[in-house]
Amino acid sequence: MTAPGTDEIVVDRLTKQYKKLRAVDDLSFRVRSGRVTGFLGPNGAGKTTTLRMLLGLVTPTAGTATFGNQRYTDLTDPVRKVGAVLEASSAHRGRTGRNHLRMICRAAGLPDTRADEVLELVGLTPAAGRKFKGYSLGMKQRLGIAAAMLGDPRVLILDEPANGLDPEGIRWMRDLLKSLAADGRTVLVSSHLLGEMQLLADDVVIVAAGKLVRQGPVDEVLGDMSGGVQVKVRSPQPEQLSAALSELNATVTPTADGALLVHGAEIAAVGHAAFAAGVELHELSAERGDLEQVFLQLTAGKAGIR
Amino acid sequence: MSLVNAELFKVRTTSLWWIMAIILVPLYAASVLVNWANANITTVPDDAGVTDTQSAQIEASLQPINIATNLYTSGQYFGVLVVLLLAAIIVTSEFFHLTATTTFLTTPRREAVILAKFGAAIIIGLAVWLFTTVLNLIVVPLILSNLDLGAQLGEPAVWRAIGLNALAFVLWGVLGVGAGVLIRSQIAATLILGITYVVGTSAIGLIFFLLSEYVAEWINNLQVIVPTTASQLMISGTDLPGSPPQWVGAVVLIGYAAVLGFFGTWLTKRRDIS
Repeated sequence: MTAPGTDEIVVDRLTKQYKKLRAVDDLSFRVRSGRVTGFLGPNGAGKTTTLRMLLGLVTPTAGTATFGNQRYTDLTDPVRKVGAVLEASSAHRGRTGRNHLRMICRAAGLPDTRADEVLELVGLTPAAGRKFKGYSLGMKQRLGIAAAMLGDPRVLILDEPANGLDPEGIRWMRDLLKSLAADGRTVLVSSHLLGEMQLLADDVVIVAAGKLVRQGPVDEVLGDMSGGVQVKVRSPQPEQLSAALSELNATVTPTADGALLVHGAEIAAVGHAAFAAGVELHELSAERGDLEQVFLQLTAGKAGIR
Repeated sequence: MSLVNAELFKVRTTSLWWIMAIILVPLYAASVLVNWANANITTVPDDAGVTDTQSAQIEASLQPINIATNLYTSGQYFGVLVVLLLAAIIVTSEFFHLTATTTFLTTPRREAVILAKFGAAIIIGLAVWLFTTVLNLIVVPLILSNLDLGAQLGEPAVWRAIGLNALAFVLWGVLGVGAGVLIRSQIAATLILGITYVVGTSAIGLIFFLLSEYVAEWINNLQVIVPTTASQLMISGTDLPGSPPQWVGAVVLIGYAAVLGFFGTWLTKRRDIS
C-alpha cells in the first residue's frame, strides 16, 4: 500500500464493541481524494458508528480512523480540514439558521460573514432569519451542508444527506458533491438510496454487520458481480439478429418484452454484427449492472437488525 | 476566549436568557421586600423558646452592619438559583437539542468546550450579580435611611459581603455546569437542581435541627456542608456566634465547584456522543 495522502481517509482495523453488540468489526478501507465514495450498508450495519469514530465522537474499542495520518481530535483546525453532516435535526429549535452557523464561526475563529456565504451556497438565504423549528427536513439538510462548508474543508463526510430532500434537492446535492470532488476534495457519503449512489459515487465501500463486504470503483464492483456490461438490443427480426450475434463469443438471452440481452460483448461489436448482417435495429444500449441487485446479493444473509 | 464567546452567543441567541430575566426581576423585588421586613424586627421576643446560641445569632443579625450586608446582597437566593439553572442548561441543552455533535465537531478537544462553558457560566453569574448589586446600591440606601441606620457604605464589611456575594454567584455557576454534565437530561437536571436548591435546603436544615436537638448540638456546625448554607455563611457581614467562620463557607463551595467541575470534565471526555 502507498502512504496515504493528507486528504485521504484511512480506516484501519476499526472495531467498536458495545455491551452485547459488535457494531463495527475489524473494518478497514480507504477513501481517496478527488472522488465521491459511497458508504453503503443495510440499516444497523455500523455506518453511522464508523463515521462517528472517524470524527472523534465515539471512541473505538480497537483500530484507528484517520485523515492522512492524523486523528480528527488531533487536527489543529478541524473545521477547515473536515466538514461533516451527521444528522439533519441537530440544531437548537429556537435559534435561527444564521445564528446556528455564526455560533460555529465563533467557536472556530471564522468571520461571521462566512455564515452568509454558505447560506447563499446552499440556497437558504431567504430562510436565514427563521428559527430552526420552522425548517422543513430538506432545509435542515441544507443547513447541515452549509455548516459543513463553513471552513471550506478538503474532506466532506455526509451521513444520509439525501434524506428528506425532494428530487430537485437531491439533484442539487449530487451536483454539489460531484463538483466538490472534481475540485480534488475527498467526499464520503453514506446512504441506503442505491439508485442515487449509482448516479453519484465513483467508489463504493459496502459494509454489512459491521464488516467490510466489498470495496472498489462502482463499475468494477458492478462488473464483477453482474459479469460485465450488458448490451440491450431490439430488432423486428430477432431470429436473424440472434444468428448474427452467435458469431460473437457472447451469451444472448431474450427478455420478456422481446429484446435481447448480450453478455460479454462491447456495444460497438454488437452494432457492427447487426450492420454486417443487414438487421434493422430499434434499440441498442449498454446497461450497467444494477447496484441495488449487487448490493442485495452482497449483503444477503447478513441480518440488518442485530 | 473565542470558545467562551461562542458559548455566550449560544445563550444570547435563544429565548432562554430573557425568560430567566423575567423570572428573576419579580423574585428580586420580593427578596428586597422580605429583607426589609426582617430588618424591621428589632428585638428578640423573650418567650420565643430559642436556645442561647440561636438567640445570640438573632441578636447579632440585628446589628445594623448585618442588616446592611443582608440588604446589600438581596437577590442572592433567587439570583443564584437562576444562575445555577442557566449554567446547567448551557450543558444539558447541547444534548436536549442534539447540538453536542456540532459543538464537539467544531471543537474536538472536549475539555476546552467544558472549560468554555465554565467560563460562560462565570460571566453569566457575574452579570446577574452586577444586575442585583447595582439595583441594591440604588434601593438599599433608601431603605436603610428609612430604618434610620444610614447607608453604611463606608463599612468595609458591606463591601466585603458584596464581593463575597460575587464569589457565590461565580461558584454556583461552576456548580451548575458540573451538575449539568452529570445529569444530562435537561428536564431532570432543572427539576433536581431546582428542588434540591429550594426544598432540599429546608429539608436538610430540618434534619440538622433534629440531629442537633436529639443527638448532639455540634452536629449543627456540619450544616455548613450544605451548599446553600455555605454560601449564606460566606456572605454574612460578620462572624455569627455559633457558626463556623465565613471562610469555611467559601472553602465548602469552592470544594463542591472543583469536584463537580473536574468530575464533569473527565466524564465528558470519556463519553461517546451519539
